Amino acid sequence: MKKLSLIFAASLLASPLALAEVVVIGNPSGPDSISANEVRDLYLNRSKALPNGQSAKPFELPEGNATRAEFHSKVTGRNDAQLKAFWSQQVFTGRGQPPAEAASASGMKAQVASTPGAIGYIDSADVDDSVKVILTP
Amino acid sequence: MKKLFTAAPLALAIAATPALAQSTEETLERMQQQLNAMQQQLNSAKDTGVRFNGFFSTGFARASNDAGYAGITDESEVADLSLFALQGTFDVTQKSQIVMQLVGRGVDDWEPQVEWAYLSHRPTNNLQIRAGKMRIPFFMYSDSLEVGYAQPWARPPQSVYGPIAVTSYVGADASYNLNFDNSSLTATGFTGFTDEDGNSGDVQLRNIAGMNLTWTDYVWTVRGVAATAEADIDGTRLGALAAQSGITLPPGITQLADGDRGNFFGLGASYDDGSWQIIGEVTRVEVDGKFADTDSAYLSVGHRFGSWTPYVAAGWTESKDDDERTGFFIPGVVSESILNYQRNEYSIGTRWDITPGVAIKADVTHVRGLDKGYGNLNTEHMLFNDTDSTNVYTLKIDSAF
Repeated sequence: MKKLSLIFAASLLASPLALAEVVVIGNPSGPDSISANEVRDLYLNRSKALPNGQSAKPFELPEGNATRAEFHSKVTGRNDAQLKAFWSQQVFTGRGQPPAEAASASGMKAQVASTPGAIGYIDSADVDDSVKVILTP
Repeated sequence: MKKLFTAAPLALAIAATPALAQSTEETLERMQQQLNAMQQQLNSAKDTGVRFNGFFSTGFARASNDAGYAGITDESEVADLSLFALQGTFDVTQKSQIVMQLVGRGVDDWEPQVEWAYLSHRPTNNLQIRAGKMRIPFFMYSDSLEVGYAQPWARPPQSVYGPIAVTSYVGADASYNLNFDNSSLTATGFTGFTDEDGNSGDVQLRNIAGMNLTWTDYVWTVRGVAATAEADIDGTRLGALAAQSGITLPPGITQLADGDRGNFFGLGASYDDGSWQIIGEVTRVEVDGKFADTDSAYLSVGHRFGSWTPYVAAGWTESKDDDERTGFFIPGVVSESILNYQRNEYSIGTRWDITPGVAIKADVTHVRGLDKGYGNLNTEHMLFNDTDSTNVYTLKIDSAF
């Protein structure tokens, strides 16, 4: 019994952590899954297509956002200042433009839900059926 | 009849209830559809196909003497390091775009110059073809030469970036990108010509043909480049210098290269794991004729501590064909050896990211070994002074938006 209550207590402790996890979301018409490397290639301007060949439209949350920081530490390994320097290099050498920005998790969902080929990331707690989770990095 | 009248409103009421519910649902659905349509319109408004970006730098640099390292003497002007650039990206189709970048520099009285103007086309996800005016991709930071914000230093190491002052060309290139599981390889072939004002005068490179290979695993980056061209180099600045002293040089004597073969080789590597940032490049320039062949290298090590990234860098450059310059431009006064190169440079500095988009940089560079060869320095000063070293102090703000 003691053991059971311990597990219960532990799961209570663990659940907020489990909820605060970033997930990669896609437009419902897009592919059902994607690898972390493919997501990294999209967010670091090395690929412009989803695994199904569709033209990809990545979205970012604003600089300073905690979910953005978690996503980039897990997927691209870069912080905001590094990303800004990286994109200024890409932009001013004409290699590409940074992903469009969504103001918030709900903005991100609205953009991803309404844009074919869209890919984004939100906290798993914010997921609803307007978008689909395609990767948990 | 009466029965019918009483039954009718009842029947209507019964029929109306689900109808009402249904219409609420329909209305909701319609509203949802309208909302989606509006969202899509909003999205497409954002994708009108025109985007503007820019960068800006300003700063202050002074040197301990008039040796003229990186063009800086002990009188400094803020305008020296100031530049403003505006870039427009215009989508022609989903796969093609036109990029144009205008740069206005303080030293040129802010007169805007076109640095990039090209059409790019991406027929497949991996292939990009471009044609127009672009940067010559000789070095790792050639493409973003003036985008201070994209660089860790106050200025790119002059040992490598100084000897070649020609930065743009008109032509075409094709890049092929291969993505592997944890790395990526990009091969670029480029060809074209250029006619620009270099360090010593007018530089023409014709039939440029080059190849560039870059491999990265997102922490390590290794880059190799080889290029060849026919070079015409006229040392018009030497002529101007002589004219200042009232001497007319024999015609053709300042022609340092006339249709001569010029070759360029470079090898670079960088390591960036988020905290350590290590960059090194080794380059070789070979031009038949009097123009100096140079070997150059630098190594730079930086470390991020939050928003601060202090760095140290060491560079070296040397001309390799001094025995081809034993004559005189002005007999007894100006020998051809003034084109010789030799210097060591040591920099210590820091980048401070005050906010994403704005960085402040401070740098002290000590340069020595100048009396062994002072190509690309302030010739007037070096000819008549015994200057062996110089210190250059730089404070700079770089921004990108």
